[in-house]
Amino acid sequence: MVEILASQVVSGLATGCVYALVALGFVLIFKATDVVNFAQGEFVMASGFISYTLLIWYGLPYWLVFFVTILLSGVMGVVLERVVVRPIMSAPIFSIVIATIGASTVMRSAAGIVYGYDVLPLPTIFSKDPIRLGILNFTIMDVGVIGCSLAIMLALYLFFKWTKTGMAMRATAQSQTAAQLMGVSVKQIFSLTWAISAGIGGIAGVLIAPIIYLDPNLGIIGVKAFAGAILGGFGSIPGAIVGGMLLGVLENLSGYFFNAGIKQVSTYILLILVLIVRPSGLFGAVAMKKV
Amino acid sequence: MNKGDSLKTLLLVVIGGAVLALPNVADNYVIYIGARLFVYILVALGLNLLTGYAGQVSLGHAAFFAIGAYTAAVLAESLQWPFALCVVAAAVFTAVVGYLLGLPCLRLSGLYLAMATLGFTLIVQEMLLQLSVITHGSEGMSVPTASILGFTFDSDYRKYYLLLGVTIVMLLLARNLVRGRTGRAFLAIRENERAAEAMGVNLAQYKTIAFAISALYTGLAGALSAFLVGFLDPQEFSFFLSIQFITIIILGGLASLLGSVLGAGFLIILPELLAGLDVWQALVYGVIMVLTILFMPFGLSGAIRRYAYRWFGIGVEPIIPRRLGH
Repeated sequence: MVEILASQVVSGLATGCVYALVALGFVLIFKATDVVNFAQGEFVMASGFISYTLLIWYGLPYWLVFFVTILLSGVMGVVLERVVVRPIMSAPIFSIVIATIGASTVMRSAAGIVYGYDVLPLPTIFSKDPIRLGILNFTIMDVGVIGCSLAIMLALYLFFKWTKTGMAMRATAQSQTAAQLMGVSVKQIFSLTWAISAGIGGIAGVLIAPIIYLDPNLGIIGVKAFAGAILGGFGSIPGAIVGGMLLGVLENLSGYFFNAGIKQVSTYILLILVLIVRPSGLFGAVAMKKV
Repeated sequence: MNKGDSLKTLLLVVIGGAVLALPNVADNYVIYIGARLFVYILVALGLNLLTGYAGQVSLGHAAFFAIGAYTAAVLAESLQWPFALCVVAAAVFTAVVGYLLGLPCLRLSGLYLAMATLGFTLIVQEMLLQLSVITHGSEGMSVPTASILGFTFDSDYRKYYLLLGVTIVMLLLARNLVRGRTGRAFLAIRENERAAEAMGVNLAQYKTIAFAISALYTGLAGALSAFLVGFLDPQEFSFFLSIQFITIIILGGLASLLGSVLGAGFLIILPELLAGLDVWQALVYGVIMVLTILFMPFGLSGAIRRYAYRWFGIGVEPIIPRRLGH
């Protein structure tokens, strides 16, 4: 019993890490630009297809595919920001959200037109062979996904903490006006933020597409990641990571106890309960509005 | 009567005449789409009262729609209640559910509220599948034909006029509501909760009222839609439907009854116009959606107001609110 539960936690943590990466994408964009990008899940889907194309159609080696996919995903993020979001930055937040929803419709249907709606097989870098460590049963893939995600998160942390650009991004998140006055090009920071967020989404896509499935509806993973970000407290980077991981683990555990349908909704029931107790999520600051 | 009012009246008469005459000149499919449009207008009115006026974002309206539809269908099938009673009971029941959902949502706002209500949609959809004793689960359920005092609404032609009548009544009710005390309280809550409270608006009371009224409209729409389509498929009530509802009111114009009508018209008729595009339909639909919001960030009604003032000098110059922190 304990053995099975422990293994469920590990494999849940693997999916949870991917949710956390996508949630990070949401939060980074939100912190820097006050925009909620509902096309975040579509970056995951698109990069799944990009890596499929490069691997299967062009037969490139996996490590090259990995980097090219992340790069292209980042470019997609910049294009989306320039074409769809920037022209209406002064519009109400609702309008921007709808613009990103429109963009996600476009991306999803474009993928459908090119690749069809059947599930495509995507080979993984990591093998699915089981390993046994004490009471834990897991696969190399679980460890690989968790390891990759943690490495990305560490890299991001170091980037924000120690580089000049990282500091400029943190400054922009705090106050756009003050950052601009200090000589930071806020527009460039916006583009860079979108590139990084989309790039992280791209990594998430390469990691998760072989595990679950690859079809144009893969972007729905964005809803779970969004739920993870909300659970942690939207706008908090540690919150996004913890929330995403927690969501993955809970989902997997409830899959062990309940049937597949209840597994899907149990996390949302829990999320609502958490929100009733903590209206701004686990790590979110309570927003006070001045009268 | 000034220039603006007479032009408005003229437009209203022309459009009203066209809407009344449509079923007599159009084919069955067009009539059906028209009837479906009225259903979406009802939902848009309800959602706009809650999200546009009271400022409470909801992605839970697919759930209210489903609850209205299934309540009406179950009452009609198992208890064989008469049609009118089914619809009223479904609307009232949905309003009660809306009120109850509003209670835990009192502390939530913005994205957190959106996520909680989105969760509600997903939970209700799963319940439709799990409670197969009542709802027939994934098989879906058929709905008997509607009739009032022996007059059966068995053709799309008759359903069209029924829905038109209900929509006009509910539109007028919504207009009264937003112009009165409740509407002003909603706007005050949206603009600033603390200030509203200081002015004597009971936040808890008005927020839950907003949820209940909004759910009432949506439940009514769901019940009527059940009788219009004649079949309920639980897959229909997914969170995509919630997103479609919110898209309707934002593209149409938030806090605008005209916007609710225009948004519903735009998003229901557009896919029909694009039906010939086959696989490209969704793509073109998305592109048009993005372009619309790029060129009309305040929705269709916002654009109409702006250009009516600029070109014809009708109305007042719309105030463009600035976003905080920019």
